[in-house]
Amino acid sequence: MNKEQIFRAAHESIMECDEDKALSAIGEAKAQGLDLVELLGMGFGAGIRELGDLFGRGEIFLPELIYSTEVMKRATEEIEANIEVSDKPKKGRMVIGTVAGDVHDIGKGIVASLVKSNGIEVFDLGREVPAQTFIDKAEEYQADFIGSSALLTTTMTEQKKIEDLLRQQGLRDKYKTMVGGAPVTKRWAEKIGADAYCEDAADSVRMVLEWVERK
Amino acid sequence: MGDPLGTEATHAIAAGMGGIRTAGDLVLRMQLTHKMKINEAKKYVAEKLGVSVIELADVVRMTEVREDLGIGIQEPFNGANVGMEAKFRISEILGQKINSVERFKERAGLK
Amino acid sequence: MDKDKKFFTRMGDGSVVYMTEEEIRDDIRDGVADAASRGKIPPLSDEEMEHIYQIVTMPGNVVGVEHGNEIVSTNDSGSDKVGAKCGVPVERTTQALIHERVLGCDSVDIGFRDYNYKTAKGVVEHEAFAVRGALNITAMPIFYGAMTNLGFYTKPDGPVDNWAELLPQGRIAEALAAQEEAVEHAVKDVVYVAEQMHKVGADAMNLDTSGAAGDADFLAALKATEIITQRFPGLAVEIGMAGEFVLGMHGKLTYDGVRLAGLYPHKQVKLVEKAGASIFGAVVNTNCNMTFPWNIARVCTFIKATVEAADIPVHANVGMGVCGIPMCEILPSDVVSRADKCMVEICKIDGF
Repeated sequence: MNKEQIFRAAHESIMECDEDKALSAIGEAKAQGLDLVELLGMGFGAGIRELGDLFGRGEIFLPELIYSTEVMKRATEEIEANIEVSDKPKKGRMVIGTVAGDVHDIGKGIVASLVKSNGIEVFDLGREVPAQTFIDKAEEYQADFIGSSALLTTTMTEQKKIEDLLRQQGLRDKYKTMVGGAPVTKRWAEKIGADAYCEDAADSVRMVLEWVERK
Repeated sequence: MGDPLGTEATHAIAAGMGGIRTAGDLVLRMQLTHKMKINEAKKYVAEKLGVSVIELADVVRMTEVREDLGIGIQEPFNGANVGMEAKFRISEILGQKINSVERFKERAGLK
Repeated sequence: MDKDKKFFTRMGDGSVVYMTEEEIRDDIRDGVADAASRGKIPPLSDEEMEHIYQIVTMPGNVVGVEHGNEIVSTNDSGSDKVGAKCGVPVERTTQALIHERVLGCDSVDIGFRDYNYKTAKGVVEHEAFAVRGALNITAMPIFYGAMTNLGFYTKPDGPVDNWAELLPQGRIAEALAAQEEAVEHAVKDVVYVAEQMHKVGADAMNLDTSGAAGDADFLAALKATEIITQRFPGLAVEIGMAGEFVLGMHGKLTYDGVRLAGLYPHKQVKLVEKAGASIFGAVVNTNCNMTFPWNIARVCTFIKATVEAADIPVHANVGMGVCGIPMCEILPSDVVSRADKCMVEICKIDGF
């Protein structure tokens, strides 16, 4: 197999949820002395990004995405076991939750799954999470990003509370914050001082990966 | 979600028949009971009321028609029918059973 | 073409923006292409895109449809907008009268302030009494409305395990089983509430935001509709959707042999018809980061395909954040009326 074929096999292994194919592609890449970090990003990573896009279009579904996430996780472990520590791709940590008073967590769960599938360590705080808990857990887990979801106009004010508490506690610059949910808009994000508004799960992934790159 | 002026009122002014101001309520009844698409429902109701389809959404013409037929108008004075009594008439004119009318008859011992 | 002339319009979040003719036309084309690609449906014709452009750039605040093209409306406000949204303390049967005699509505739905069938079930006698009160004093059709909201059946609020937590943990079999169990609970509740409303003479039920929790949520609405229309003659059903495609939280659920996950409105409507509903409330999501021309062009592409496929009336959902309407609480009549005009004249919609 040449380089192009190996990268395509890596991509396909994610699309097809095929762990054997993934490990075989890594084996071939090692044998040929290819850059495994590049394989992770441009081979396997490309597969996950395409899956995320297909999920956003309704062409694949969450259980399939989760299966592929498991394959991605296995591939990542295998690659990281074979590279120098200094070559390991940058990672990030995220806490995410649905705000206090709000029990809607379907969208938040999808974001958590998709962000996780892209190699970010995600701590899902669940639903009805008080504003201070977002901050406490971000501190505890040494997170980089705080994501909050609100599905009601009556609960989205909690997102402002998170921003206000971060500022009051002198922690605002320590974290990147992102907000989402049906009634949430870019205007709202700008008004409360959040770093980003994310329209959907794919948008969230794009934002987080951009931040990781800039870390 | 949203505000009544920005949604209900705007939709009614921009594109709606206006409910009992014209015959919107009657056209909707035909969509509910017979699953008629809009043009078919309008044609059916217009024939039952003896008006044209264009007149069906004209508040001036339809106020007269509704008052004459006792099927409820927006300003319920001068003895105009409202509510349940209007629906009794609507049921008769459209040739259509209306749930609330039937339940009312049962409860009132008329059935 | 005056290349520099700019036209007033808005973004999907309601922000004002000024665009040139070229920018508007480009956005219209892109919006159409996006819908056609996602839904695998025909794009709008050049004439239809030109029509959208003319409507978007019409002078004046409110625009309207031509005489003879007026349509009818249904509602998912719970007859509580004046009270809950505007803070004017009026009880719901009076609000129903306000909808009929002041706002020009063709119908309204009565609904519990916590607009879910699971919570309404607990107070259904009071709800039925409110419906009966409205039925006595109004002439227009009265619905009872609420959301299936399958997520409410998950722990700690309900009896089944939370699949939104199980799925990211990779516990897929358990997550699928939990959704299937939740469907049965939801169907039972919706049918129970419908039975009480039928007893007092409601004209119809509104199953709002169907599919909000994914394909299982949509299945619950379809199954409940099938039972309601068979058991309670004279009680019609409107199924209103939550999003433009059915989210595949389960992925394998079917109705009438058709997989539910991933369906767009033109395919959703055929199953809604099969279940026995009278009206289909189609939804296309408004993208807050894109312009109104982009959004409405996209909406028209989807809705036109849906109306053409449908054998029952299609009422486009024109509330906040859907079908071109901006995502903001207080809605600007300029784009709301333009969205209406586009859907009536291009899509031949049956109602809103």
